[in-house]
Amino acid sequence: MKFVDDSQNLRGRLRLIQALVLVLLGVLGVRLYLLQIINGWRYAEIAENQRIRLLPIPAPRGVIFDRNGHLLVDSRPIYSVILSREDTKGIDRASLIKPLSEGLGIDGEILRERFDQVKSQPAFESILIKAGASQTDIAWVDAHQLELPALRVEQTPQRRYPANGMLAHVLGYVQEISPEQLEEPRYKDKHYKPGDIIGQNGLEAVYDDYLRGREGYRKVIVDSRGHIQKEIEVVPPEPGQDLVTTIDLDLQQAAEEQLQKSATKRGVIVAMDPNNGEIMAMASYPTFDPNLFSQRITTKAGRAEYAALLNDPQTPLLNRAIQAKYPPGSTWKIPMAVAGLQQGVITIDKSSLVCGGGIQIGNKFTRCMGNHGTPDLRTAITKSCDGYFYRLGLKMTITGIMAMVDEFDLNRRSGIDLPHESLNYTPSPELKAKMNPRDSEWRDIDTVYSSFGQVYDIVTPITMLRTVAGAGMGGKLYIPHLLKELRPIGQPGEADYRPSRGFQPTDPQRPNPKILPIPEEQHKVVVDGMWGVVNNGGTGASIKMAGFDIAGKTGTAQVVGLGKDSGANKDHSWFVSYAPAYKPEISVIALIENAGFGAAHAAPAVRAIYDVYYKKTRPQQDEPKNSVALRIR
Amino acid sequence: MVAIIQRRSLRDFDWLIAVLAIAIVCFGAWEIHNAQPTETYWQKQLIGLGIALVAMLAIAFSDYRRLVELAPFLYALGLVLLVIVLIPGIGMKINGQRCWIRLPGSLGQFQPSEFVKIPVVLMLARYFGKHRSGLLTWKELFTGCVILGVPMALILLEPDTGQSITYLPLLAIVLFLSSMRMWVVAAVLVGCIAGAPLFYTVGVKTGLLHGYKLERINVILDPENADKRGYGYHTWQSMVTVGEGGLMGARGSEYSQSSLKFLPEPHTDFIFAVTAETTGFVGCLLLLASYALLLTRLITDARRSRDRTGMLVIMAIVGGLIFQIFINVGMVLGFLPVIGVPLPLMSAGLSSVLATFIAIGFAISVQLRRFVN
Repeated sequence: MKFVDDSQNLRGRLRLIQALVLVLLGVLGVRLYLLQIINGWRYAEIAENQRIRLLPIPAPRGVIFDRNGHLLVDSRPIYSVILSREDTKGIDRASLIKPLSEGLGIDGEILRERFDQVKSQPAFESILIKAGASQTDIAWVDAHQLELPALRVEQTPQRRYPANGMLAHVLGYVQEISPEQLEEPRYKDKHYKPGDIIGQNGLEAVYDDYLRGREGYRKVIVDSRGHIQKEIEVVPPEPGQDLVTTIDLDLQQAAEEQLQKSATKRGVIVAMDPNNGEIMAMASYPTFDPNLFSQRITTKAGRAEYAALLNDPQTPLLNRAIQAKYPPGSTWKIPMAVAGLQQGVITIDKSSLVCGGGIQIGNKFTRCMGNHGTPDLRTAITKSCDGYFYRLGLKMTITGIMAMVDEFDLNRRSGIDLPHESLNYTPSPELKAKMNPRDSEWRDIDTVYSSFGQVYDIVTPITMLRTVAGAGMGGKLYIPHLLKELRPIGQPGEADYRPSRGFQPTDPQRPNPKILPIPEEQHKVVVDGMWGVVNNGGTGASIKMAGFDIAGKTGTAQVVGLGKDSGANKDHSWFVSYAPAYKPEISVIALIENAGFGAAHAAPAVRAIYDVYYKKTRPQQDEPKNSVALRIR
Repeated sequence: MVAIIQRRSLRDFDWLIAVLAIAIVCFGAWEIHNAQPTETYWQKQLIGLGIALVAMLAIAFSDYRRLVELAPFLYALGLVLLVIVLIPGIGMKINGQRCWIRLPGSLGQFQPSEFVKIPVVLMLARYFGKHRSGLLTWKELFTGCVILGVPMALILLEPDTGQSITYLPLLAIVLFLSSMRMWVVAAVLVGCIAGAPLFYTVGVKTGLLHGYKLERINVILDPENADKRGYGYHTWQSMVTVGEGGLMGARGSEYSQSSLKFLPEPHTDFIFAVTAETTGFVGCLLLLASYALLLTRLITDARRSRDRTGMLVIMAIVGGLIFQIFINVGMVLGFLPVIGVPLPLMSAGLSSVLATFIAIGFAISVQLRRFVN
C-alpha cells in the first residue's frame, strides 16, 4: 500500500471490512440452511397446499314426489352471478358495491352485508352476487369482463316448490347455511361450509342427509388469483336420493281448498291412514311461499316479505298441525270413553250416567249444552253430552285421567318426521300449580274441566288425530309419518324406508308405535257412539255419506269462556274422524280457528276430503249421495 | 504509446472481476426467465448486459483520476436528474413512486437514483482522498454528510426509501477509512443495535412509526402469525418459495411459486427467492460464494490502489454492494422488512445492471493504473 497514513491502521480497517462482508454473507447462508434444509419440507407442503385447490361440484338434490309419483319439489338450473374471492384480494370490495348494485339491480346494503359476512370466513372461495340472473344481467357481466374480471356467471340449481304455498309446512324449504349454523356441532361435524344450501325446515330439513347427496370435487392447480391452471382429478358428485312422501296430492289439494274457503281462513286439516300412520294430507292455513327462501331471500323485496311473515299476527310460518295447541273440546271425550271402560269405572252393561243439564260443584254450576236424561255411553258420545262426561271424569278422578293421557301418548309428541313439534299440556296437579299458583290445590271442578277438553287439555291436532284414529283401530297407535320411500340412487326399486328412520328413538318424548289393550266389545261401544255422531242423528249428522260410514266426533273449543264467543274470540271448530267406521281406511281431522261450532265448520271440511278420497278409491261406484242437510245449504 | 497501454492493460486487466460479474448477470437472466417465462425481461437483461459491458470497458480504460476531477460536475448533473425526475410529466410514477425518467423511443426508462451513486462516490473519494495526517474532523464529517444528504433527500421525495438507504453505506465506509476513531465506530454500532428496539418501542408509543412501515416490521418479528394475505403476504410467500427449494431445488418451473404468481415481483426484488426455488440450497450457496469472491477481489484491488482516492472509490462500491445484497437477501429470507432494494447483478433492471458495471469499471480502472504515475 502506497498511501498508508499514520493516523490509522488502514490495513487493519480494510481487513475488518473484508471480515464483515464474509460474516454478513455467512449470516445469509445460515438463514438459508434453516429455511431450506431444516424446514424445507414444511414450506414445500405449504406451497403445495396453496396451489392445489378442491373445487366442489354440487350434488343434484333429490326430488320429492307424492305417493302416486306426482312431482312436488325439484331443482332447476338457473344462472347466478358469482364474484371470485381470490380475484378481489387486495381490492377494496366496498368499491365494487356501487357498480354491481347499479349494473345488476341489487340492493347495495345486502351486498355490503354479504361482503362483511365473507370477511370472517377464510375458506370462502366465491361470493354469490345475484341468483337467477336474467339475460340482461349476463350480458352486463360479459360487457364488464375487463373492469370486473372477478365476476362470472355460473349455472346453479334452484329449488322450486309448489305454487300458492301448498304443502309449505310439510315440505319446508332450503336456504343457505347461516354463520350461526356453521358453528353448531351437528353441521360443523359434517364439514358444512359457507354457501352450502341445506334443508332448513320440514322434510327438507329432516331428510337433508339423504336428499343432499354427496358433493363431488375438482382437484385443480390454481395461481394466486384462483385462476385454474390445470385439472388434476375429478370426482363426480353423488346425486341425492329422491324422496316419496305419503302425501296424496288430490287429498292435499282438497284440504288446502277447504281451508282457503273456510270462515276465518285459519285452520288445519290432516288426513292419515290409520292402518300405518301415513299422512295423506296435511294443510295448515294461512300458509307461505317456500320459494321465498330458496329464491328471493337475498333480495330486498324477499327480506321484506320474510319480515312481514314473521310479524304477521296470523302466524303463517306456523305448522298448526304440529306446532299449534288448542283445547280439544268434545273430541277429548273419545279417549275419555275408551279409558272409562278400560279402567272399569263404567261397564258396557252399566255405562249410563246422569246428564242433569250440567253439574253443581260447590257454588259453581257447569252446564251441559242440552239435557240428555241418563244416557248410556253410545248416546253420550253421539249427542256429545257434557254432563255425562263431567260425571265420568269425577268417577275416573284426576289419576284416571292422567293414566288415560299416558296410555294415549297425549303427553308426548306424535313422533311425526317433521321438526319443531310442540308438546301438549295435559291435566295434572302440577300443571294447575304452574298455571294458578295462588290456588294450586286440585279440586273436583278441575277434574270436571279436564274431562271435557277444556282449561287443562291443550293439544296439537296431530296428537288428537293419532288418538282418535287409534281408538278407531281398536287401540293400534301408529306413528304419523310423511316418508314413504327414499329411492335408491340409480335404479328404481325396493323401498329404502324404515319407520324409525329420521326420528331419534332415544328421545323419551317421541313415542313408539303401541297397541292399547282394548277389549273388542268395549271398542265396539265407542265406535258405535262415533258412528252415531254422523250416521245416527248425532252432532255431525249433516255430513252423513251414503255408502261410506264416517265415524267421528265434533268439538267446540272455548277460546275465552262460555257465552263470550264472538269475533276473534269465537270458539275453535273441531272435527276428528275416520272412515269407514268398522273398517278404517282413512282418518281426517279438521280444525277451523275461531269459526264456532264443530259441526258447522270443521265437519263439512272433513266431508270434502272424504268425497275426494271416495272418488279416488271407488271409481266404479256412483258418487255418494249428499246428505239432506248439505243439500239445504 | 497506445500499444504500450493496451499491452499493459490486457495484462493487468482484472479479468476475474469482469468474468464473475458477467457470469452472475447471465445466471440472473436465466432466473429471470424462470420467474417470468412468458415475458421478455430476461432478453432485456442480456441486452442490458451488452450495454453495461461497453460502459464498463469505457470507464475501465479511461483514467479514474480524470473522472474524479470531473466529480463536482457529474454530481451537479446527478442532482439535476434527481430534481427532473420529481417533475410530473417527465418522471414516471409506478406504484406511487416517481423514480423513473422515460427515454425517447423504445429505450424504456431509467432510474436516476441508481446512477447518482457514482458521482456521490466520486465526490466523497475526491474530498476524502487527500493525504491524511490526522483524525477525522468535524468539518470533514459535516461536508461528507452534506454530499450524501442532498441526493438522499431528493430520493426520499420520490419517495423511494429503499433506494435512499443504499446511499448510507457509501459514506459510512469512507468515514471509517478516514481515521474515524475506533471507539466512535464501536459506539455507533452498539448504539444502532441497542437503539433499534428502543426506536421501535418509542416509535409505536408515540405513533411516529405507523401504517405500512410498522406493519412490515411487525411481520418480520413474527412472520408465521402475521396477516398472510395482507402486510405479511410478501414475506410469507417469499419464505415459502425459498423453503420449498430445499437442497437441490423444487421440480420444474411449470407450476412454480412465481409462475403461479404467488411470489410477487419475482424478477426484480424477489429474484433470490426464485433462485432458491429453482436451484435450492446448493445454488444459493454458490451465488453467495460468487458474491464473496467478487467482493474480496474488489477489496484486494482497493488495497493495491496507488492512491487513497482510488481505494476509497472501490471501497465505497464494496460497501454499497454488500449492503444491497444483505438487505435484499435478508428481506427474501424473511428476517428484514420488505423494502424496494434490488439484488445487484441479479434483479432485472437496466439501470441497476448498468450502474453496477460502471462501478466495477471504476474498480478496474483503479486497478489498471496501480503502477502508472
